[in-house]
Amino acid sequence: MRLSPRNVRSRLTLWYVGVLAALLIAYGAGSLFYLFLSMREQVDHNLREDVETVAGEIASQPDGSLTLRLHHGEEGDPGFHRFVEIWSPEGSLLYRTPQLQGLALGVPPVPGKITEGRGPFSERLPNGLRVRVASSLHHLEGRTVILRLAHNERAMWRELGEFATVLIIGLPLGVLLAGFGGYALARKALAPIDAMAMQTKRISAERLSDRLSIENREDELGKLGTVFNDMLARLQAAFDQLRRFTADASHELRTPLTAIRSVGEVALQDQKSPGEYRDVIGSMLEEVDRLTKLVESLLVLSRADAGNVQLQRAEISLLAVAQDASSLVEVLAEEKRQKIDIVGDANLIVSADRLILRQAIVNLLDNAIKYSPPGSPIFVRVWPAAGNRATLEIIDVGLGISLEHQPSVFDRFYRVDKARTREWGGVGLGLSITRWAVEVHGGDITLESKEGHGSVFRASLPLSSNSASSPTERGSQ
Amino acid sequence: MHEGMPDLRVLVVEDEAKVARALREGLQREQYQVVVAPTGEEGFFLVSAEKFDLVILDLMLPGRDGLQILSALRKRGLQTPVLILTARDAIEDRVEGLDKGADDYLVKPFAFPELLARMRALVRRGRQERAARLSIDDVEMDLVAHKVRRHGIEIELTAREFDLLEYLLRHKEEVVSREMVTLEVWKERARAVPIDNVIDVHIARLRRKLDEPFERKLIHTVRGVGFVLREES
Repeated sequence: MRLSPRNVRSRLTLWYVGVLAALLIAYGAGSLFYLFLSMREQVDHNLREDVETVAGEIASQPDGSLTLRLHHGEEGDPGFHRFVEIWSPEGSLLYRTPQLQGLALGVPPVPGKITEGRGPFSERLPNGLRVRVASSLHHLEGRTVILRLAHNERAMWRELGEFATVLIIGLPLGVLLAGFGGYALARKALAPIDAMAMQTKRISAERLSDRLSIENREDELGKLGTVFNDMLARLQAAFDQLRRFTADASHELRTPLTAIRSVGEVALQDQKSPGEYRDVIGSMLEEVDRLTKLVESLLVLSRADAGNVQLQRAEISLLAVAQDASSLVEVLAEEKRQKIDIVGDANLIVSADRLILRQAIVNLLDNAIKYSPPGSPIFVRVWPAAGNRATLEIIDVGLGISLEHQPSVFDRFYRVDKARTREWGGVGLGLSITRWAVEVHGGDITLESKEGHGSVFRASLPLSSNSASSPTERGSQ
Repeated sequence: MHEGMPDLRVLVVEDEAKVARALREGLQREQYQVVVAPTGEEGFFLVSAEKFDLVILDLMLPGRDGLQILSALRKRGLQTPVLILTARDAIEDRVEGLDKGADDYLVKPFAFPELLARMRALVRRGRQERAARLSIDDVEMDLVAHKVRRHGIEIELTAREFDLLEYLLRHKEEVVSREMVTLEVWKERARAVPIDNVIDVHIARLRRKLDEPFERKLIHTVRGVGFVLREES
C-alpha cells in the first residue's frame, strides 16, 4: 500500500478515518476505564458493608473454634460468592469458608506487622478466580481476630468484557462505514474539480474561447472556476492581440517589400540610362529605409513587451523634457508656420528616462504638427495634478479624431486615415510606443478629441518624491 | 576619386555571402585591400597569421562567435582596430562587445556611407587634425570666427545649420546618411528618434541659403541614401 496516495480524495478519506479512529479509540478506552472505576467503587462499597454483616455472624464455639452463621439464601446465588477467612493475630487460621477449598486469601498475617484495616485489594486466587478482599480487626469475646472477606469480581469483569467486546467489534465497523461515507463525500465534493480538469484539458491556444461551466458562482469551486475563466479571458485577449499584431506587422512588412520587388522587376524589363537606374535603386533604398524603421519600432515594442527595457532614470523636470522635445521638432512646425506654445510648472520633477519620455512627447508633437493646418497653434501644458502627479497636455486645433477611432488610436498599426499616414511615412506605431513610454513610467495617457476641432493628448505621470511642488510658479517659453 | 588611404588592409569576417560581396566591392572602390573570411574559424586564423589595419567583425558567425574571436585577438595583444557588425540590437551586446575590446559597432542593417565614415574614423584615429578653415568651391567656413562665406558674401546660419554644414564639409565628396547626421550633428543616440524629416527641413533651409542664390549647386540629395556636398562635375 502506498504511504501517500496519489489523489486528494483518498488522502482526505485516510486522514478522516485516521482521526475518527483515534478519537473513537480514546473515547472507548476512557469509557471503559470510567466504567471499571465506578464498578469497582460499587464492589468496594458492598464489600465494606458486608464486612460489618459478616462480623456479626461470627460465633465462638465452646471448644474455642469459630463458626459463621451464614445466610443460606445468599449462599446459592450463583452471582454472589462471598469468601471468609478468620485469622488470629499470630497468624494461625481460625476459619475458612468451605467454598475456598483451602485456598488462602492472601498471605497469612505476620505477627507484629498487622496490616489489616487498610483498603480493599485485588487478589487473584491460584484457581484463577479474581476477588476483591477487605480485611479488618475484630474483637470477639475478649479476643482479637482478623476477618478477611472477599467478593468474587467475576460479574464485574464479565460486564467490562462485554462492554469491551461491543467496543472492539463496533469501533472498526463504525470507522469502516465512516470511511466509505467519507470517501463518497470527498468524491462528490471533488467531482467538479475533475470535471474542470477535463474541460481545461480541452482548452488549447486554438480554442481559447471555451470557458469552464460553473454551477454555483458563490461556492469555493465556483470562485475557482470564475478565476480560471477570467484568466482565460485575459489569455484570449492577449492571444488575439498578438495574432492581430503579427498579421498587421506582416502586412506592414509586405507593403515595402512589394514596392521593392515591383520597382526592381519593372526596371529590369528594359534598358535605362545610368541616371534612371540610380533613381530606381534610390527608390528601392527608400523602401528599405522604411522597412528598417519599421523593424526598429517593432524591436522597441518587443523589448517593451518582454519587459527588458532598462530605464536610465533621473530626476528631471517634465517641462524641461517637453521643451527639449519641442526644440527637436519645432522646425517642422515652423515649416507649417505653426507655433508650439509651452507653458507649465518647471518644478514638477519626475523620475524618468529622459530619452524615452522625450520620445513619447516628440511622437505626440509630431502628430500634432502633421494633423493640424498650417498657421495653427499647438499648445503644450505641464500642470500639477491631484494625487502627487503631473499632467502633460499636447493640444492641437487640427483635424481631430472621430469617436469611432478614439478607443483604438493607441493600438499598434492603427491608423485613422490609412492612405494619408502612409504618405507621411508613419508606420502606425508611434502612439503605441508613446503609450508604452508613459506607462513604463507609471503614468497613463488619454485622448480627448472632437472631430474637426482638434485633439488633446493628456499624459499623467507620478511626481518624483523629491519634487519641490511649489504650487503655481509657472514659467513659459 | 577622394583622399582615401591606399593600401589599407581590411579583414571582413562575415558569413552572409551577399553582404560580404557588397562590402568587398564597396570597400575596394574606396581603395581598401579587402580580405573576406566567411567563417569565424577562418577569420580567427587570418587575424592571427596576417597583419591588417582594420577588422570588420560580424557577431553572429557559424563556428566561432564574433565576440570569442575578439577576446582571443585582444588576449594575444593585437591592437588592430575592430568594428563590430551586429544584428542584435541590444544594449547589453554592445557593451559586451566594447568591453571585449571592440573599437566601434554598427547595428545591422547599416548604411554603407556610415560604415565608411566609421572606418575612416578608426584608421586615422589619433592623428586627426582640427582645421580652422574648411572649404569647397567658393564656400569658406571659418570655424574660429564661426562665419560662412560664399563668393565672399557672408551667409547667416543658425547654430544647427552651421553644425550641419560643418559636418558636410568635413565629409565633402562623401555621401552622408541621415543616420550619420542624427548621430553626429544632432547627437541623438537612440535610433528610434524619428528626426529624418527634421534633418530634411534643415537641409532644405541650408540649400536655400547656400545654393539657391548661386549658380553652382553644392548640396545634392542621393535618393534613398542621404546627402553629399560636392562640386558639380
